[in-house]
Amino acid sequence: MGSQTVSAVLGVLALGLLNGCGNSGSPTVSAFSVPLDPPDLSLQGVAFARLSEGQVVARGTADRVDYRRAGGRVQASHGGGMVYPLPGSGLAQFGTVRFVAKEIEGEVPNRRGVASGGVRVDTTRGDVAVTERVQCDGDLLHNNVPVAVRGPGYQVDGNGLSARTDGSAIQLTQGVRGQLQMEARR
Amino acid sequence: MIAILLFAAAALPQGPLDFRARDMRIEPQERRVVLDGDVQLARGGLNVTGQHAVAEYAKEQPSPKTRGRGKAQAAVGGQTIERFVVQGKVHVERGSRTADGEQAVLDVPAQTLVLTGTPDSPPVVRDGSEMLSGDRILLRLDSEDVDVIRPRLVLRRSLSEEGGARPTPVKVEAEHLVLLQARRLARFKDDVVVRRGDAVARSPRMEARYDADGQLTRLELRGGVDVRQGDRRATGESADYDARARTLVLVGDPKLYDQGDVLTGDRIDLALDSKEVRVERARGRLRPELHKGEKGVP
Repeated sequence: MGSQTVSAVLGVLALGLLNGCGNSGSPTVSAFSVPLDPPDLSLQGVAFARLSEGQVVARGTADRVDYRRAGGRVQASHGGGMVYPLPGSGLAQFGTVRFVAKEIEGEVPNRRGVASGGVRVDTTRGDVAVTERVQCDGDLLHNNVPVAVRGPGYQVDGNGLSARTDGSAIQLTQGVRGQLQMEARR
Repeated sequence: MIAILLFAAAALPQGPLDFRARDMRIEPQERRVVLDGDVQLARGGLNVTGQHAVAEYAKEQPSPKTRGRGKAQAAVGGQTIERFVVQGKVHVERGSRTADGEQAVLDVPAQTLVLTGTPDSPPVVRDGSEMLSGDRILLRLDSEDVDVIRPRLVLRRSLSEEGGARPTPVKVEAEHLVLLQARRLARFKDDVVVRRGDAVARSPRMEARYDADGQLTRLELRGGVDVRQGDRRATGESADYDARARTLVLVGDPKLYDQGDVLTGDRIDLALDSKEVRVERARGRLRPELHKGEKGVP
């Protein structure tokens, strides 16, 4: 239930989704497209890295990424990534943050996306968040399915999520239960 | 009542704190987590419910000096929860003891739970039919001790009347009450008032002592005692009430005032049921003419 812990974990979900949304840049696409299938661009065995001021701040992989120009839709399967929080950032205390999802779909222009199928976030410190589906709308992450978050000294289970992607506000809804370890420091 | 409070529940075991609520809102900037809707907190034998709760994090990590004290702390992801504030129809259960109020503050490092209410609805602690209320009730979670500001209680359990007669309740008011479980002692301070039937005793401080079964054995009033029963008044430096004999013994320049009579002696015994008075080495002034017409007086 540590606020920054949960912020970090859920924030990484946002990062994954935003990568799925293609927020970090426009890929090269073919000149021809149709509204539906097939994709305008299909990549197998994708690896990507995100740089900030010359440093890698995130990188990831996906078995396959399809891009459809109409609507700027991106679909990735078996995607995963790692985020390296900058020193001093809100995520820094958690170390490297890893995330995986079986499916990631997004609309780049609308900054909307959905990660589904075993969505899981891990941090170096030992925090783990698991859910089956998370939706991203702009800066808001939300779902209405079970969410389980565990970490050093705590665990929280909820049946819905509403969170800002920067971790400034996080709400678990529709019935929350959890446990805090009461450590006797001697 | 005090007896039950002292002996009812076992010591609170160490263990995790479980929580439930309808919603949980995390506010990182405010360093707190807010639980809303049918909040339940449970740790060992302690259960707290309410409508709303806030978990507040310590502003800084505890210093090594603090860590050495052996206090229990709630650690969450490397952070420390300093306290929970539960509001709205707060209900506390611990062993056979229950408590109710409008707000409860669970101080994690101090291992205390402070229960407060409103002027119309003060916090109460119950055990079966027994009840203790006051302006503020502090439950110590690392022991069975209870600290009460302006307690109001009835010592029902201490009264086993002979012949199965209905017990006469003893009501106690004071500014401050501390229940010390290990010493089987309840310590009242400041403006202590004890009422039993038509008898009222006042004293600056009083200690109630219990036996191993939790039965009241003695009330010890100290610092100047004033006892009134009907037209009779007795004073002394101190007084001991024997709960089994239901007698009050005044010593320390004791005086008995009964209408126009004034008696003093080494010791004055008052039997609260029969209203008999025994004065050791009595001396004083009697005015029989003022007692004409009384029962047994020609």
